[in-house]
Amino acid sequence: MSVKESPGIGLGTASAARPLPERVRMGQNARRKALTAVRIGALVALTVGALATPGFTSTLSVLSLLTAMSFIGCVAVGMSFITITGNIMSLCLGATLSASSLVFMASLGLGVLPAFLAAVAFGVAVTAAQGFAVGYLQANPIIVSIAGLALILGCSDYITGGQRIYPAGGGYQIFKEKVHGMPVEAIILFAAVAVGQVMLSLTRFGRNMYMVGSNPRAAEAAGIVRWRTVTGAYTLAGLFTSVAGILLAARYGSGDMELGTGYDYDAIAAVLVGGTAIHGGGGSVLRTLVGVAVIAAVKVILILHGFSQQMQYLITGLIVLGVVMLHTLGESR
Amino acid sequence: MTHTFALRRLVDPSVRPFTILLCAIFTLAVADRGGGRFLSLATAFSVMQLFATLGPVALGLGLSMLIREFDLSVAGMLSLAGCVAVLTGAGNPWLGAFLGVGVGIAGGTLQGLVMTGLRIRSVGVTLGGLLTFEGITHVLTRSQTIVYPNMRIALVLNEPILGVLSMRSAFTVAVFLIAAVVMSLTRIGRDVVATGSDRRASRVAGVSTDSVVIGVFAVSGGLSALAGVLLSYSLAAASPIALSDVLVPASAAAIIGGVSLAGGRGRPLSIGAGVLILCLLRSGLNAVGASPYLHEIATGAVLLMVAVVDAPLLARRVRSWRRRLSSSQLRRDGATYLSPPASSG
Amino acid sequence: MNRSPTVGSIPGGGAGHSIITTRNIWKSFGPVEALKDVSFAVRPGEIRGVCGENGAGKSTLIKILTGVYRADRGTVLVDGEATDIRRPQQAQELGIALVAQELSLTLHQTIEDNIWLGNRTVPLFHRRRVFRDRAVRALETVGLGSLDLDTPVAALSIGQRQLVEVARLLTRNARVLILDEPTAALSDVEIEKIFAALRALKQEGRSIIYITHRLGEVFEICDTVTVMRNGEVVATHHVERIDRDRLIELMLGRPMGEMYPDSSSRSGGPLMVVEGLRIPGVVEDFHLVAPRGQIVCIAGQIGSGAAEAVRAIAGVVPEATGRVVVSGRPLQLNSVPQALASNVMFISEDRAGEGIFLHMSVLDNLVATRLGEYSRGGLLSWPALRSAAARLAGRVGVSRTRLRARAEELSGGNQQKLAFARSLERKEPGVLLMNEPTRGVDVGARSEIYRLMQEFCDLGYALVMTSSDLEEVMGLSDVIVTMYRGRQVARYERGQATIHRVLSDITHPTVEAVA
Repeated sequence: MSVKESPGIGLGTASAARPLPERVRMGQNARRKALTAVRIGALVALTVGALATPGFTSTLSVLSLLTAMSFIGCVAVGMSFITITGNIMSLCLGATLSASSLVFMASLGLGVLPAFLAAVAFGVAVTAAQGFAVGYLQANPIIVSIAGLALILGCSDYITGGQRIYPAGGGYQIFKEKVHGMPVEAIILFAAVAVGQVMLSLTRFGRNMYMVGSNPRAAEAAGIVRWRTVTGAYTLAGLFTSVAGILLAARYGSGDMELGTGYDYDAIAAVLVGGTAIHGGGGSVLRTLVGVAVIAAVKVILILHGFSQQMQYLITGLIVLGVVMLHTLGESR
Repeated sequence: MTHTFALRRLVDPSVRPFTILLCAIFTLAVADRGGGRFLSLATAFSVMQLFATLGPVALGLGLSMLIREFDLSVAGMLSLAGCVAVLTGAGNPWLGAFLGVGVGIAGGTLQGLVMTGLRIRSVGVTLGGLLTFEGITHVLTRSQTIVYPNMRIALVLNEPILGVLSMRSAFTVAVFLIAAVVMSLTRIGRDVVATGSDRRASRVAGVSTDSVVIGVFAVSGGLSALAGVLLSYSLAAASPIALSDVLVPASAAAIIGGVSLAGGRGRPLSIGAGVLILCLLRSGLNAVGASPYLHEIATGAVLLMVAVVDAPLLARRVRSWRRRLSSSQLRRDGATYLSPPASSG
Repeated sequence: MNRSPTVGSIPGGGAGHSIITTRNIWKSFGPVEALKDVSFAVRPGEIRGVCGENGAGKSTLIKILTGVYRADRGTVLVDGEATDIRRPQQAQELGIALVAQELSLTLHQTIEDNIWLGNRTVPLFHRRRVFRDRAVRALETVGLGSLDLDTPVAALSIGQRQLVEVARLLTRNARVLILDEPTAALSDVEIEKIFAALRALKQEGRSIIYITHRLGEVFEICDTVTVMRNGEVVATHHVERIDRDRLIELMLGRPMGEMYPDSSSRSGGPLMVVEGLRIPGVVEDFHLVAPRGQIVCIAGQIGSGAAEAVRAIAGVVPEATGRVVVSGRPLQLNSVPQALASNVMFISEDRAGEGIFLHMSVLDNLVATRLGEYSRGGLLSWPALRSAAARLAGRVGVSRTRLRARAEELSGGNQQKLAFARSLERKEPGVLLMNEPTRGVDVGARSEIYRLMQEFCDLGYALVMTSSDLEEVMGLSDVIVTMYRGRQVARYERGQATIHRVLSDITHPTVEAVA
């Protein structure tokens, strides 16, 4: 007989996916419509609030908003792939980001492009290894990411001795410039979102990711090689995360293990607020972008209204909690 | 024949942590080369002090892993409870402690209620909880360190007893012992393990699994709060604590302590051994003069190994690779088949 | 609905000094009438067998007795008093207990812990002498007295686990034990142990309701037997006063309907040949020839290995070994991509868990296996995919307007049609493997699915299916293969077997048939 699926820690006990009786289906439809209405309402309220806040529409605010979004946004895009394939989240993307910034700065002696490629190669290697463990062996994704976190922190500490890495060459300033008034970082973010979304909606690989996240057994029965899809998703996550690391390194002029602190939580918060379900199989990179924008906008509004940074932190946390709860009310699982 | 049997007993998940503990002590003692830095009361004391901070958190996290959930919010509650205690306990330390632990239990219960009421898995809820608790901490402390004026408490808590323990660590050891008794000798413990082993079966058999989930998260919150309160009092200060500093060692300790990733297995005393191993590595490596990064790498490596060993598909993959290698071996040896060879079961 | 009781049956189902009685129970789910005027009574110390095909109403009746459902009309009497059993807890307190097909034991824990699990009378410090002793006594009653209470349940065989579950019920003073298909996965030796335990319980005055497909067991262990069909109780008899053939007749009732299409036996050559298929512990030495244009039905009950054999051919079972040849080319087992590449397609019995993606759209479900065919330059062409999906949907009778709906919003029948649609439009006709293709599908959709199957045959596909609905098996198949306990019993061409013969094969074949 078929083997019972064992999702492991934090993923709860998988409720057997059963086709729903008629009346429950009707109720669910109504609930889902209500949820969409709530979401649209919230977005409208947010936009109104934003526009009504003095100073929000000033160029300075918008620019700083965009720049802040770019860093978290790239990581969040990467995190989206991991979540969509049903692996919840990775707790080591922040550390990967920091370590990539180190690699980038250290390799600048070879030129900007080689340094870029080196940093990306590093990020990809680190996450692909985790993806392999999670995909091929079905090791618990959260624990594997925590192990990765410890290893990256330890190895970086060993190599750098806790020091910052200053640029070994020049040329990285191009990442800090503006093209037609738009910061290069924001352009890269939008490019990342575009590439990510194209992958998800227009490639076989992307559709496979949705199917693996939605119902891994059915995906295998449909001929999808599950571990390849999962490893690929993690690889993409590493790609985008390392890009964020490069951008951050360029902005701050040095590579530093502290750069990535807190990014894991910000990224998963953005993914969740954007509406991607935490158990996978749905959502998109565009939604994550919306999530990033919402969180960033809320932060800027709070700043402009004089709220302390700590209140922003708290309110972001409450928003995440509220979104997670709301989202589940729209689906019964 | 007998030594393989003994070997297997030592590697058995419930005994494994103690074996590793002994190996760790032995290795560090050897590395010390009789320099007296490792095998000293001072090292033991610092190990136990660390144990007092990490232990309850790892225990709470381990219990949530036992029932196949994951309490991400333990890290946040650690700092929040400490801040609450420091802020409210200026006049009366007992009041501060009571409120701090109360906040922990309340926070855990709330998360548990949300999970069971809305049928959500724990990761999303505890993530929200983590961010919220951290946020509240930041608001309360304005992101700064708050000083606790009652120095006397700090001295009392940190006074060495028998050279190795302090009030704080002794208390923590007591907590572990109580947990061990509850888990192995009471009906509650049995129900928790049952819920972790097979929630559906337990529910059908009549266990109130919702109560178990809520209870476990309440306890988990309470335990981290306890650790936070004691830590803040003993430092005479409270501040938001970096998340990775807590989550990595706590989950590593729980896993090394034999908590199964698939739920249903785990014991307080083994988790305690896991915590000791980590604290030993940290303090011991410090004492022996090894660089701190080794600790992180060692922790990460052990975690990764356990994650791989406990991975559901490991056995199957190894078997299929063995099959493939042996059938290609046979073909190379010149065996012929009239029809494609049936792979050996 | 008037029906006169059959000759020799026990009037009123045996009421009078009964432990539990149902009188004129009716239960509907929406338009579906699951139970119609069911009257049923069991006495203390009686072992009552309950037989009936899938959908006869057995499980609904059990759920009413155990407090999971409440009857729309009628009364339930416990010890002669009308009782409204509202919750499973209440049923437990009344002494009504169920051993379901899916056991509720926690494998990590010991026998003792499992026996007392969920028992409200156990105090906080539960490891006391008195509870251990009671557990030992319960184990002795079921014949497991030699086992150590501290053995983890995971170390026990399935038969022993079942007995532990019975022991648990004993400690809850169960007076009526309901066993649902208890012997499906058991060896002969273990079945004997179960029977010994049941006889011991009978001696103690407890009653047993024994639901089974295995008619031989009915005659071996039961005192009386109730036959259900289409939600009604057809008859209740003393076991000595009825024989197997009569029992089968009662179960089947009227001759089959006319929804099955005429078989246009287009016999092409064999498209697939299976030899020596083996799943350790489940299926032994299975072989099959699947000719083009024909439907081969493998008939067998739970535990017969029929569904598992089909899954193995589909590539979904890692431990399976054997030789499969499709269109002259050998097929590697244990690999779904290989199976798909050889045009072997599979429709799973577990539609929700393995067949379709419930939370994804109908469109996504339809094109799931053919994404590669509609890409240009590495990118998918959604217009092409949408028109392909619309085409497929049209061919199976699912409205195109539903393409964007989530699969979970469709009825069971339409969901099943999605699974069929995936297998259409292949480059060349292949093998279509189906497990229980019409399970959970209403009558209207059923005939559409049968029409679809005929269409596949006309296109030259070879169809291999399993079904526990014997009418369906008899109506559809060109070839019937019967299985019992992991081995093949017999193979019949169309017209060679009667339904009685088939039922006999799969429930209790004669000694010669099981080699």
